[in-house]
Amino acid sequence: MNADIPIKQRGKKTSLFRRKEILPYLMVSPYLIFVLVFVLFPVLFCLFLTFHKWNIIGPMHFIGADNYTRLFHDRLFWKAIGNTLKFLLLHIPLQLVVSLFLAYLLNQKIRGIPFFRGAFFLPVIVSGVVITILWWQLLGYDTGLINRLLTSVGIPKVGWLVNPDVAIYSIALMATWKNVGLYVILFLVGLQTVPPQYYEAAKLEGATRWQQFHHITLPMINPTIFMVVILSTIGGFSLFIEPYIMTGGGPMNQTISAVLYIYKQAFQFYNMGYSATLGFFYAIMIMTVVVLQKKLIEKEE
Amino acid sequence: MFLRLRYYIILTGFIQIISCSTNQEKDKPLLFWCSNNQREIELFTQQTEVWNNGPSGIPIHLQPIPEGQSSEEVILAAVVGKTTPDIYANMWQGSVELYARAGTLIPLDTLKGFLKFIYERCDSSVIKEITSSDGHIYQVPWKVNPIMTIYNQDIFLANGITEIPDNYSKYRQAAEVYKSNSRKNGQTHNWFGYTEVKPIWYERLFNFYPLYLAASGGASLIRDNKAVFNNEYSIEVFRFLQSLYRDGYFTRERLSAAGDAFVLQQITTKWTGPWEISYLLQIPDRHFKFDYYAPPVPDDHVGPVYTYADPKNIVVFNTCTRPQEAWDFMKTLIDKNGDLKLLETTGQLPRRKDLQTDAFYTDYFTKNPMMMTFAKQVPFSKGIDNCEVIVEVLDIISQEYEACVVYGKKTPEKAIEDAERAVNVLLGENTPSLNAM
Repeated sequence: MNADIPIKQRGKKTSLFRRKEILPYLMVSPYLIFVLVFVLFPVLFCLFLTFHKWNIIGPMHFIGADNYTRLFHDRLFWKAIGNTLKFLLLHIPLQLVVSLFLAYLLNQKIRGIPFFRGAFFLPVIVSGVVITILWWQLLGYDTGLINRLLTSVGIPKVGWLVNPDVAIYSIALMATWKNVGLYVILFLVGLQTVPPQYYEAAKLEGATRWQQFHHITLPMINPTIFMVVILSTIGGFSLFIEPYIMTGGGPMNQTISAVLYIYKQAFQFYNMGYSATLGFFYAIMIMTVVVLQKKLIEKEE
Repeated sequence: MFLRLRYYIILTGFIQIISCSTNQEKDKPLLFWCSNNQREIELFTQQTEVWNNGPSGIPIHLQPIPEGQSSEEVILAAVVGKTTPDIYANMWQGSVELYARAGTLIPLDTLKGFLKFIYERCDSSVIKEITSSDGHIYQVPWKVNPIMTIYNQDIFLANGITEIPDNYSKYRQAAEVYKSNSRKNGQTHNWFGYTEVKPIWYERLFNFYPLYLAASGGASLIRDNKAVFNNEYSIEVFRFLQSLYRDGYFTRERLSAAGDAFVLQQITTKWTGPWEISYLLQIPDRHFKFDYYAPPVPDDHVGPVYTYADPKNIVVFNTCTRPQEAWDFMKTLIDKNGDLKLLETTGQLPRRKDLQTDAFYTDYFTKNPMMMTFAKQVPFSKGIDNCEVIVEVLDIISQEYEACVVYGKKTPEKAIEDAERAVNVLLGENTPSLNAM
């Protein structure tokens, strides 16, 4: 069939066709290379490592599924998972309620609202290390400002970071304070997308503020709630800086988070194979939780 | 004929390139990394300049270790990336075995003149301590900072503590006197002593380990790939430290965030090294006197009091193409003059025998009498056992230390027994045969 087309024309069409075919790949290639080098390769290498014993500087030794067997018998790892879940149990609901409440307040027409919005966002942009050190000083048992305030009004001191039963919750409170500004902004955007006519109609029908919030606001901002739950779950699962700086995982391993434990295995003990196994397992766990959350919320909807 | 000529030209060119690169390699300076400590940079800058201006002809390029979270992490990254320097000064003795087993260090005992020099400079006990499990020596014992008890002389006098509390009973008695006097004066945020409670492995090198060495006369933690610390000494140390927290002489709170508790006079004693001397002396508004003594020992202790030396050593990495020349340079850092320079410039002690009796150093110690206390301690200072997984061993002890000593949740006997069991499991998993494969 091509024989009827003049040679010159035929060549042009082919090169144009090829260019059109290649161009999209050229356009996505920078990101594709990035994903291959910095995502796909590390993930595959991590999977490869899970079957090896490697101290990073010596040769690797194939050990089959030994790392996985060790993982299931590693009490400290499961304690770290338990601690992370304890943290999440307080952190996620608290984050959700506090940020929604603050966003609701900041959505009102009052004077100086830009200042308040900025003020609540400030902890998000300050370095996590700086904030953690600040809170470490505030939460000190004998020398901390909070306990000094408590004792000055006759309330006994609280072992915020030294009491094994309290420390993880102190960290959850602190982390909530630090991150709440980000979620306030997300909720604020969600609240501002609710058409005001809905509220006007509800008012005409005699709905109270609570009824308006319950029947209009909440259903309308459901996608934002879903996003906040997912983001704070993933953020909570990656808890690291706070226990690393404030408690080092103590007291009595009550604040050692899963990520801190994985870090210790990798960069303190150089157990690269085992830490890769922990990391792989933990990533699958997070993915499962997020998928379950998504399904649950979709079902609710 | 033409083909032969072509081969001849190619061969000549190749030989020229080879000889050029060999000459370049010969002229290339040896890279020498030191720590980021300003005084050590100053010391090595002087010593490197003297060497480079001398007749040797092998230039040395000094560079402080690149910035990182810790020098250990930087060295690890360099080893992995094969960007290690030729020489590195400031290697923690505990890390050497790991790098030696991985074949990344040069066995220095194979170099000409090394053993003779080292036997002249160091005690046989030190040489035994730095010899790796394969019988080679991969490190030059450079400097030590023995861990001693620093105390606030003014607070001692004000509380009528006239005798140095150098054993457990005396230490507890002094602590009780101080505590009751402080409470009478309405001071509730003062403690007799402080030591870091954070359950991080290296913190145990500054509380449990020096006290264990002191109590046991320098016993090991690990021998023949087995835990050997389940003994009366470690149990007594745990019991003594536990009593300090239980009775409120030490605080469980981490004080380091709120400034230097010793300078603020919130605490009266702590276990630390000689680096504190120059630091305290330069504080302009310091209104108290201080001094040092050896770590406290059990009441029935006899014999010398050992402590942890906190040794930092010099190594040559296997990326070094001229280790013999590197050793020639290193000798100038640790000869008699080099060691005097270390004392004068950094206020740290060389790991040299007869330091306190050698007339060469008398002048320095006359001018710095407090350093003499440390110099006398050097022969009774010990590093850490050569064990590839020593960090994990110390981490296990750390977990039990926290549970028993700080929070009193276990008896000392149970804590030490649990630590011993966990360490033996760990050592069983890391048998030398597997690692040497």
